[in-house]
Amino acid sequence: MMATMADFGTRETPQWCPGCGDFNILTAVRAALAKTGKETHNTVVVSGIGCSGKTPHYIRTYGFESLHGRTLPVATGAKLSNRKLTVLAMGGDGDGYGIGLNHLMHTCRRNMDMTYIVHDNEIYGLTTGQASPTSMKGMKTKSTPHGLIELPIHPLALAITCDATFVARAYTGNIPHLTNIIAEGIQHKGFSLIDVLQVCPSWNRINTPDWFRTRIYDLQKEGHDSSDKTKAYEKALEDINSGYEKVPIGIFYKAQRPTYDDELPQLKDAELVNQDITKVDMSKTLAEFE
Amino acid sequence: MTEFVWKIGGEAGFGIMGSGLLFGKVFTRTGYYAHIYSEYPSLIKGGHNTTLVRLSEKHVDSPVLTNDLVVALNKFAVEAHMPHMSKSGGIIYDSKDSDIKDLKIPAGVQLYDVPMLELAQKAGGDMLMRNTVAIGASLALLGYPVEHFSDIIKETFGRKGGAIVDINISAAKNGYDYIKSKYDVSKFPFKFTPKPNSERKLVMTGNEAISAGAIQAGVKFFAAYPMTPASSILHYMAAKEFEHNIVVKHCEDEIAAMNMIAGAAFAGVRSMTSTSGGGFCLKVEAIGMAAMSETPVVVVLSQRTGPSTGLPTWTEQADLRFAIHASQGDFLKVVLAPGDMAEAYNVTQKAFNLAEKYQIPVIILSDKYLSESYSSVDRSELKAIPIERGKLITKDMKPLAQMERFKRYEFTDDGVSPRPIPGVIGGEHIASSYEHWENTFSTEHFETRKKMVDKRARKITLLEKELEPPTLHGPKDAELTLVCWGSQKTPVFEAIDKLNAEGLKINALHFVYVHPLPKKGIEMLKAAKKLVIVENNSTAQFGGLLKEHAGVSFVGSILRYDGRQLFPEDVHTHAKNILQGKEKDVAVVDKEPVEFYTARFVR
Repeated sequence: MMATMADFGTRETPQWCPGCGDFNILTAVRAALAKTGKETHNTVVVSGIGCSGKTPHYIRTYGFESLHGRTLPVATGAKLSNRKLTVLAMGGDGDGYGIGLNHLMHTCRRNMDMTYIVHDNEIYGLTTGQASPTSMKGMKTKSTPHGLIELPIHPLALAITCDATFVARAYTGNIPHLTNIIAEGIQHKGFSLIDVLQVCPSWNRINTPDWFRTRIYDLQKEGHDSSDKTKAYEKALEDINSGYEKVPIGIFYKAQRPTYDDELPQLKDAELVNQDITKVDMSKTLAEFE
Repeated sequence: MTEFVWKIGGEAGFGIMGSGLLFGKVFTRTGYYAHIYSEYPSLIKGGHNTTLVRLSEKHVDSPVLTNDLVVALNKFAVEAHMPHMSKSGGIIYDSKDSDIKDLKIPAGVQLYDVPMLELAQKAGGDMLMRNTVAIGASLALLGYPVEHFSDIIKETFGRKGGAIVDINISAAKNGYDYIKSKYDVSKFPFKFTPKPNSERKLVMTGNEAISAGAIQAGVKFFAAYPMTPASSILHYMAAKEFEHNIVVKHCEDEIAAMNMIAGAAFAGVRSMTSTSGGGFCLKVEAIGMAAMSETPVVVVLSQRTGPSTGLPTWTEQADLRFAIHASQGDFLKVVLAPGDMAEAYNVTQKAFNLAEKYQIPVIILSDKYLSESYSSVDRSELKAIPIERGKLITKDMKPLAQMERFKRYEFTDDGVSPRPIPGVIGGEHIASSYEHWENTFSTEHFETRKKMVDKRARKITLLEKELEPPTLHGPKDAELTLVCWGSQKTPVFEAIDKLNAEGLKINALHFVYVHPLPKKGIEMLKAAKKLVIVENNSTAQFGGLLKEHAGVSFVGSILRYDGRQLFPEDVHTHAKNILQGKEKDVAVVDKEPVEFYTARFVR
């Protein structure tokens, strides 16, 4: 019997602020897991620390709430141990694009077969409102009271540059679209980055629901060709290049190439976790020391 | 008893380290033991490199200060090593590139002028083959058949094709014949004869012993970032990844490596990483995560001379406290410090058992000296330790009711909770770095927090029974007991043997299980008459721990922190002086004017 959305539910009350975009991400992830026919015991949801880091607790699968920024390496270790698992990684814009950005670039180029959902609210939430790597230039926050000097990073453009094979963006104000994007990410064989634009009712007074509503449009409705890497790159920079007049969501780029675990002959006969370690034959290995 | 010390010295980039291993194997295949140790600066070409090969009929595991035969590939090597020659020792050099007329060669030392480059070229080789010529020449002086070396050449270079094998064999023969024709080899006092039908010994570095031990223990996932002196663990594991079906990942950074092995261990496979102090700094946060989430990981920390970049290619034991206290918070971890190759092989396997049975991080402490020394061991010294995985659950259970989660952090009498791995029906749970309830959900409930701390700490009750006491070396009844740990075992034990042979009542305690301290070890310390701490650091870190946990005090200390490990001679001299009341606290330092980094004399 297929797992339903209810099977992915847990008893706990999510500890997020009222109106937080994370509630919608949670709903969409549960729906996407049910929609794609995933089982609770064969799914692992890994997170870092921050508001997004709480997410695995509210999804009844296996999970790992790890360290700030370290979502992807923890998820990578789990996936390589047992490639049969469906692995979802949850990050935030501070966690995933700040302290842990290095891992994103390398996980993209490895094409690790997992879905990385970044809860991108353009602010640090749990640490009570400091500028994040995706905060807009000039934004005044507790850590930038005189206005942010740096330009924001462009995670989608970065992922495309680093050869991620599924690069998408969704918005917490549109749950059906968000669900579909996450489901497509899960079904994609390879590394999927899903940047989820999200409101932060507590700390971000700039990127509000009204701000998003007037700017967001769906790439797929405009006939964007997601196999065109150059076009995808252009679209990934459209928000900043248009002075934030237009903020596209949807699938920017999609490609196929072998995943990291596909290229490991060590996994051909069995996943690492299913290999017998009680009968290691050292005779040949030790003889090499003679 | 036949014992002999050979040293080859010259600038980096001329294959000096490799030739030491080849020379040593000539003898370890024919009945002798060898210890091989390289000293080198942190550069690729130039500077000064040496490799010492010590041969003996008995087990040898440390280098010594006196050389019997030196192969000097340049003038600097002659000048640097001639003060450390045994009375009738010899120096092989090439007067065509080393004009040594101005050097005062110590009386009794024989010079063997061998045109190494010319003989290499005659064989069809180049500069790199001077070593081969020198080995041939050395074998001639020792009266050893050169054919044993030819066999090793065939095996070592065989896959590179026949030509390179022929050139090397011919170069070795040229060196051998040259000595025979120009010098009366009977005057060279050191002689060896192959022992027929002897079992070939295994020659391995500490890093190879740790790596092979990990493979024997069933390691399936290994992730690391290169850092001297731990890099050769990564190299060895990578070379073996197909043979033993191990996923070996050279990561983008140390942090990724540590977090990946935590993820892999969570998913149910035995996982390990390796690094040196600088890399360990970056792993510290995730070591705490492993502790909080009760994820079994094995971390190899091969120390080098610190702090910071320090002396990248030299040795020290100054990360003990750092390892013990790595990461914030109070939690249980085990730190193991093997003292020789067999211990490294066997203890690494135990590290995995301890990590999995108690669901804790285990750190294996090595250092440049142990990690990069080669020693020969008898095959029988390497054990296959039975694998124990503790409360791991790999079989499906009853499916959980909707909304429920498995009690991964269940309060148990022994503090260890059942650990289902992803894929197991009914085991769904979160491994969490946050404090948690038994069902893994985050909590800040005071009483539960306290109970969780107590649960994790309670593991010590069972674990304590597995902490092995130190090895007592020497007579039970002694006036003075040297206390050491990890890699300094070999020079200390050798010094004890010599002191005992001289009739002195002295012994040594060597700790492998350095944290937590085994109770039996504390009893043994308390039973000793007088204690002297011997460590390769400046603050006697282990001595401080023993004062704290065993309440013992020391009558003296032998410390070294100049970049080198203690030599048996250092320990012998200073232990004797302390015993006779002539010294108390000693900081050993090599006062030779030689600097390896720039290959010059600092006078």
